[in-house]
Amino acid sequence: MSVKKLSKESLLNWVDEIISTKKKVYGVQKHKDKTDRFEFAPLDSTADLRLDYDVTVLPPKKYFQPPTETLVAFDLKGGYKAACDTEKFIVIGIHPYDMIAINQMDELFQKDNYDSHYMTRRNNATIIACDVATASKDIFASSMKTATVKKGYDILLTDIGNGYVAEAATKKGQLLLDKAKTEKASDADIKARQAVWENNEKNLNKHPLNCQPSEVSELLEKAYNHPVWEEKAKTCFSCGSCNQVCPTCYCFNVHDDMNWDLKSGDRKRTWDGCLLDGFTKVAPDHEFRAKKSDRFRHRLYRKGKYVPSKIGGQIACVGCGRCIGACLPDIANPVKVYNRLLEDTSAVKK
Amino acid sequence: MCECCGQDKDIYLPQLATVNKARMMNGTELYLNLSMDAEPLDYKPGQFVEVSIPGFGEAPISISSSPTQKGYFELVVRKIGNVTSMIHKLKIGDKIGIRGPFGNGCYPIEEAKGKNLVFICGGIGLVPQRSFINYVLDNRSDYGNITVLLGTKCHTQRFFHSELRQWSQRSDIRLLETVDEKDDCWQGNVGVVTTLIPKIESELGSAFTFICGPPVMYKFVIMALAEENVSRDRIFVNLERKMKCGVGKCGHCQINNFYVCVDGPVFRCSELAVAPEAI
Amino acid sequence: MNKPRVAVFDFACCEGCQLQIVNLEEQILDLIGAVNVVEWREAMSEQSHEYDIAIIEGSITRPEDEEKLWLIRSRAKILIALGACATLGGINKLKNNFDLNDVKKCVYGKDASKPHLYTELTKAVDEVVEVDYKIHGCPIEAKEFISIIRSLLIGKKPEIPEYPVCVECKAKGNPCLWEYGQLCLGPIIRAGCNARCPSAGHRCYGCRGYINKPNVEAAKDVIEKYGLSVEDLKSKMVLFGSRQDNTL
Ligand SMILES: Cc1cc2nc3c(=O)[nH]c(=O)nc-3n(C[C@H](O)[C@H](O)[C@H](O)COP(=O)(O)OP(=O)(O)OC[C@H]3O[C@@H](n4cnc5c(N)ncnc54)[C@H](O)[C@@H]3O)c2cc1C
Ligand code: SF4
Ligand code: SF4
Ligand code: SF4
Ligand code: SF4
Ligand code: SF4
Ligand code: FES
Repeated sequence: MSVKKLSKESLLNWVDEIISTKKKVYGVQKHKDKTDRFEFAPLDSTADLRLDYDVTVLPPKKYFQPPTETLVAFDLKGGYKAACDTEKFIVIGIHPYDMIAINQMDELFQKDNYDSHYMTRRNNATIIACDVATASKDIFASSMKTATVKKGYDILLTDIGNGYVAEAATKKGQLLLDKAKTEKASDADIKARQAVWENNEKNLNKHPLNCQPSEVSELLEKAYNHPVWEEKAKTCFSCGSCNQVCPTCYCFNVHDDMNWDLKSGDRKRTWDGCLLDGFTKVAPDHEFRAKKSDRFRHRLYRKGKYVPSKIGGQIACVGCGRCIGACLPDIANPVKVYNRLLEDTSAVKK
Repeated sequence: MCECCGQDKDIYLPQLATVNKARMMNGTELYLNLSMDAEPLDYKPGQFVEVSIPGFGEAPISISSSPTQKGYFELVVRKIGNVTSMIHKLKIGDKIGIRGPFGNGCYPIEEAKGKNLVFICGGIGLVPQRSFINYVLDNRSDYGNITVLLGTKCHTQRFFHSELRQWSQRSDIRLLETVDEKDDCWQGNVGVVTTLIPKIESELGSAFTFICGPPVMYKFVIMALAEENVSRDRIFVNLERKMKCGVGKCGHCQINNFYVCVDGPVFRCSELAVAPEAI
Repeated sequence: MNKPRVAVFDFACCEGCQLQIVNLEEQILDLIGAVNVVEWREAMSEQSHEYDIAIIEGSITRPEDEEKLWLIRSRAKILIALGACATLGGINKLKNNFDLNDVKKCVYGKDASKPHLYTELTKAVDEVVEVDYKIHGCPIEAKEFISIIRSLLIGKKPEIPEYPVCVECKAKGNPCLWEYGQLCLGPIIRAGCNARCPSAGHRCYGCRGYINKPNVEAAKDVIEKYGLSVEDLKSKMVLFGSRQDNTL
């Protein structure tokens, strides 16, 4: 599929048209309460779209795995009916690191047992991704090799100063892009995009990791009993904020809600977090991962070792930096832990 | 097939089953005999199902019957919380939702052929083990000696009374029982289940051993088996963890790199060397 | 099925929680359809049968209230404490932990020395009788109230959150108030209010009480890190934290 160029004006016109013809369009815009922050929200007007944003408070996973969703509806007479969210939608402005997180989720929700609830939403989505134009305060995507992305989106936009380079990666994307007033991207435009990519691959790096992301798994192999877990977790609130804001966290709880007729209701899943007290608690009263430090370690092992072993070695931290900002005691930063372990590896050799 | 996603199966959608038999086995354990209304349950010893009660939720429950018995399957449920209390109210003819069978880590049916088998059960841990025990009894010539060690808290909590009596009368299976708390009505062994292990020393040479019981039990039984030189690749544990989905998504049952619901619930102990959280 | 008989009693409180129930609007009809609400007088009369659910609002401040409460407990199959006054002792409870004069000044300002403000030690309901369930909050969260009542109506033990307010706050996509200089108690306070205050731009002041294992030491660290002081917190905020074991 060919690479196109849109002027800034034709991009706006194109988004206008998308908003007026499609039912559900979400885009990055200023946060409704705190205007120095950004969020994904329903896009009512093109003027609200902010492709120059740094990072959103919550990742776009909320459109694929919502904080609360109904899995099945039940009726006491014994009936269960699968819920199915069939609405098509468009998300504009997903950054490469978040796109890579979605690509990982796609694999995980299809693996072993196909999760039709996640996948139906995923298949109903058209994703217009965009390269990072402003680095956020905690981003370390360059370290994680997630500063640019090659797949998963339908269209990728790159701001090259005098306009956007747009590349459709799917038929769905091509059809949508055909509606824009575009010209063929010149060699200079392609070069300019390449320059943006190269710059991002180097400079989205506020917390440089002192090894290759592919080496983290091996590093953790040796660090299970390292004192860092206990030290960091001392001030952990078990608040789960690091889980909630993470684009690659997908654990959930399931609970039933009864309607007033006391006969019918919904079985729902809600976001959960492995840092929370009670996450592994079973009846009558036994908690398997009762210690804060064990839960703290579990999260980093999951990102750095367990999930990678299921998805061909890709590390399940995309360097968005959200957990760093969300953690009040400032202990959640994965890079700080990994770098600390790198320094100490000689000390932990058993 | 689902019209909207094109998938044949929604992994969260329970299928209906009918209660054929329901009776209390003691003060806390309910025996259920069920049949799926549509397709029969195609399961292996060691697998479990998610039992669904509308408005209350789901509970993972081991299948206690052997797949050699066709047309029905059996569960034993201890009343402990919301879902299990409702399961206890089920009566013959009632409908219930079932998802599964789940779990890829099952009993090593093929590998154990020709071997002596030792089952070490703590209380309700007998329930999943019974599936494989009865499977082996139904394919008796394929396997070596069978020994079942069963430890119960007190004799009033024993269940499957007539089946246990049959086993103790048969010559091709050996059952040793013990209770933790002695009282006048109990003539047999007293002490925790590990105290039975030295008594079957001669069986343990090349035997495959299977452990299932409350979380605290595993460590001690494995230690006792180690003393008898049973290597870890011949010890199998049936693990329990909190479960919400049963299909490897929700994260609750994870122990290090494993999901108990997908990779277990039966694990070979030597494979758990990389999972310090397991035991 | 007979409709369960529900009796509501209020002790020392502002009745704000009852107001939340009255404000349920259309759902109040569903509620009244599902239960049989018995009057205060009927419920307390000699010939009254036992009631299925007693809902207690408010904290216990007088000896005669304690006697009433014992009677209620003996007649109720399920006893629920409703609202922060009943679950925690509410605002009044402050005085049990801090210097009484300071507290009076904090709560009542210059009226602190007025004689009518003297009472016995305030007790939460569970300090007087056994409580089956607590519906937290000041005022309570109508949605949670409904879901707890519906659970009880089908004979299910309600699931009351053990995790902190931050979980709900984050799920709603709120930026954290600490980054805007507000000292929010979210990380150590029990959720269930759908992060009511932070979502409206106000810090959580802890009306639902602590989670089971609040990391109070970490909270002190964080307060310092953000250049605030624990004293700020004591004087302004932990109105509801005071009856619990670890207090800031
Ligand atoms: C693989 C496996 C097999 C099991 N087999 C049996 C069996 O054959 N017979 C039997 O009586 N019990 C069995 N259990 C334990 C049984 O699942 C729990 O007792 C049951 O889930 C408690 O649910 P509840 O709603 O009654 O309790 P609540 O305390 O109300 O639990 C609420 C929810 O938490 C989760 N949960 C709580 N405790 C457990 C637990 N121990 N294990 C897993 N999830 C839990 C469940 O999702 C449950 O619905 C098994 C557990 C596992 C993991
Ligand atoms: S672990 Fe932190 S930095 Fe990594 S993806 Fe999750 S939120 Fe982003
Ligand atoms: S690491 Fe930080 S964000 Fe995560 S649970 Fe602990 S305190 Fe909360
Ligand atoms: S809990 Fe709050 S709102 Fe409810 S009665 Fe007490 S003071 Fe009023
Ligand atoms: S504003 Fe309060 S409740 Fe929300 S995340 Fe921050 S500390 Fe937690
Ligand atoms: S945010 Fe805090 S103070 Fe506000 S209602 Fe919730 S628990 Fe109470
Ligand atoms: S029960 Fe959900 S992942 Fe195992």
